[in-house]
Amino acid sequence: MEGNVAILGLGNVLMGDDAAGPYAIEYLCSQFDLPDTVAIEDLGTPGLDILPHIAGRERIILLDTVRSDGPAGEIRLYRKDQILAHAPSARIGPHDPGVKETLLSLEFAGKGPADVLLVGVIPERTDSTIGLSGPVRASIPLMIQHVVDELETLGYHIARRTDAREPSPWWEREA
Amino acid sequence: MSQRIVVDPVTRIEGHLRIDCEVDGGRVKKAWSSGQMWRGIEVILQGRDPREAWLFTQRFCGVCTTVHAIASVRAVENAVGIQVPLNAQYIRNIILAAHAMHDHIVHFYHLSALDWVDVVSALQADPAATANLAQSLSDWPMNSVKEMTAVKARLAGFVEAGQLGPFANGYWGHPAMKLPPEVNLLAVSHYLQALDYQRKANQVVTILGSKTPNIQNLAVGGVANAINLDNESTLNMTKLYTIKSLLDEMVAFIQQVYLPDVCAIGALYADWLGYGSGVTNYLAVPDLPLDSAGTKFDLPGGTIMNGDLATAKPITSFTDPYFSENVTESIAHAWYDGDWTRHPYEEDTVPKYTGFEDDGAYSWIKAPRFGDKPMQVGPLAQVLVGAATGHEPTQRWLNFALDTAGAVAKTKLTPAMLHSTLGRHLARAVRTAVICEMAQKHWQLLVENIASGDTAIFEPPVFQGEQVGFGFHEAPRGTLSHFVVIRDGKIANYQAVVPSTWNAGPRDEQNRPGPYEASLVGNPIADPERPLEVLRTIHSFDPCIACAVHTLDVEGNEIARVKAL
Repeated sequence: MEGNVAILGLGNVLMGDDAAGPYAIEYLCSQFDLPDTVAIEDLGTPGLDILPHIAGRERIILLDTVRSDGPAGEIRLYRKDQILAHAPSARIGPHDPGVKETLLSLEFAGKGPADVLLVGVIPERTDSTIGLSGPVRASIPLMIQHVVDELETLGYHIARRTDAREPSPWWEREA
Repeated sequence: MSQRIVVDPVTRIEGHLRIDCEVDGGRVKKAWSSGQMWRGIEVILQGRDPREAWLFTQRFCGVCTTVHAIASVRAVENAVGIQVPLNAQYIRNIILAAHAMHDHIVHFYHLSALDWVDVVSALQADPAATANLAQSLSDWPMNSVKEMTAVKARLAGFVEAGQLGPFANGYWGHPAMKLPPEVNLLAVSHYLQALDYQRKANQVVTILGSKTPNIQNLAVGGVANAINLDNESTLNMTKLYTIKSLLDEMVAFIQQVYLPDVCAIGALYADWLGYGSGVTNYLAVPDLPLDSAGTKFDLPGGTIMNGDLATAKPITSFTDPYFSENVTESIAHAWYDGDWTRHPYEEDTVPKYTGFEDDGAYSWIKAPRFGDKPMQVGPLAQVLVGAATGHEPTQRWLNFALDTAGAVAKTKLTPAMLHSTLGRHLARAVRTAVICEMAQKHWQLLVENIASGDTAIFEPPVFQGEQVGFGFHEAPRGTLSHFVVIRDGKIANYQAVVPSTWNAGPRDEQNRPGPYEASLVGNPIADPERPLEVLRTIHSFDPCIACAVHTLDVEGNEIARVKAL
């Protein structure tokens, strides 16, 4: 399983806890050494434009906020068949989250990933503000532990960086 | 008795677009367009360094990242009076053109084709007849009988397995679906091919912008693409020729597949050239600058009033006051505190939510006006302005589209029919054909300029006292403009007037509806429970309202998306 894995952070960094995916990507890169063969990207809120980042890959790991019953900060894990269990709803614009549609399109084209792991966190607030809530921020290391475990399962050895540092994403720096 | 339809598909996530229609006698009588989410992201920019504004603005929207980045650097450059090096203009132009090609292909095949194409009907198609039809439209090599047979088999396998995959929420068997099975099969096969071709356009943006979404190569004053033809890590000949071959492939797909498909499908739904005109005042700004100052362009801009091409008045430069002095926004029917119509420099953004009131406030979107008039923006405006101002590539591709569609419809089509729901689709395909030629041209200009010995990419900005400016970009969905007030090197005010604000905005202080609202009036509605016709007209604008958040709902059952009250 070399060279065909992508870790994709999703969410809007200007909308409170919706930044969890991009923030988790920053955290992952600041704490761990990752092989060059694993693609790591903060994609923002790409809607259907996520397709080029999934097409042709064997495995996808998504980091995102999810809607689920439970307190803010709780983590939910889903696999491809669970993500595809419910039909996507009608879309009016290209902005609606496009993960389900993209996976279905790629399945239809015969170019879908063998499996997907979605590591989701339940948000506290997703309004116009910069910065994560306490519960979501506290859950980021655990989200990343799930990513590391998945990569190890796929045969990668993932080591902590000798120069590990606190993440400092550009959007959280002072004006 | 009148009936009310509410199309509000995204109650599962915060925000987006809601459309309300009052239907009587099978026709829409009155419509409301409502942005359901407060953006106010401009507030986040206050006090920040203007050189970093583009990093934040490209996070407004996850799909329109590139366009907000470019409008932002142009606004700050305009405020400080910088002339951008030619290489930077060309590199930006290639990125913008590639982004537009990608966006339009995705819009047609993956977002709106299912409003017209009945995927299930494609199972009845004869692959040989489908290939014949396709070959009558163009020489595209992937229109063979073998290709059509394989696609039909793939589709049949999917349906037999009890799933419709990406097509699950289409309105199959709806009485307004009228294409013959062969055209439906043709569209499905090109849907699959489009998945590959949109990726090629994306690759161009990625090579020049480091990544996409959210390009990394911009700077206020230029770009960060160091140019050294012999250096592996900079922009060099290998990368330039990779870009060229990707652009060439895109051009072939657009000219031989996308444009002919839109012409053929459009011709078979010719009655939709008679619905959906709405606001026929049009606005487009010029783009693809050919000089450092932004006074010469490869794509024209201007205004047209009342659908009359003779009224065309050009917008001629990045500093043209005809644009900057005529833009205002009204909050008469929007959820903001106050009751004003102001220029963007003078606006504030103070939310005041009151609930949906038919005759009062009902949207988070402000109502932009140009010289006090509602305006339609987007590819139709771009093409009409091009046709009215004698822009050769626009006229040539427009004539091609009208002739091709007219031949299929066996009738003469005229530019006047473009003021319609299908006219917007035709115009979008025409614009894409124009832009893909321009992408090749600007690649050539870049290579020639580098060959002449010019490797300049950046001119540093200087901030002092109060500096005020605006920047525009003719984005895929239409005129995008950013307005910035800078004091002592910090942002004091920032406003973005985006394409979907022009089109999706609510009524103004004189109760004049916006383009979405006006375009829906008179649309037929065959089945209020399945208002396909509303989606057709709204999708024809390529709506793009606050992508804002991305919370996935994996567990939830689909929430009712259409309410017929």
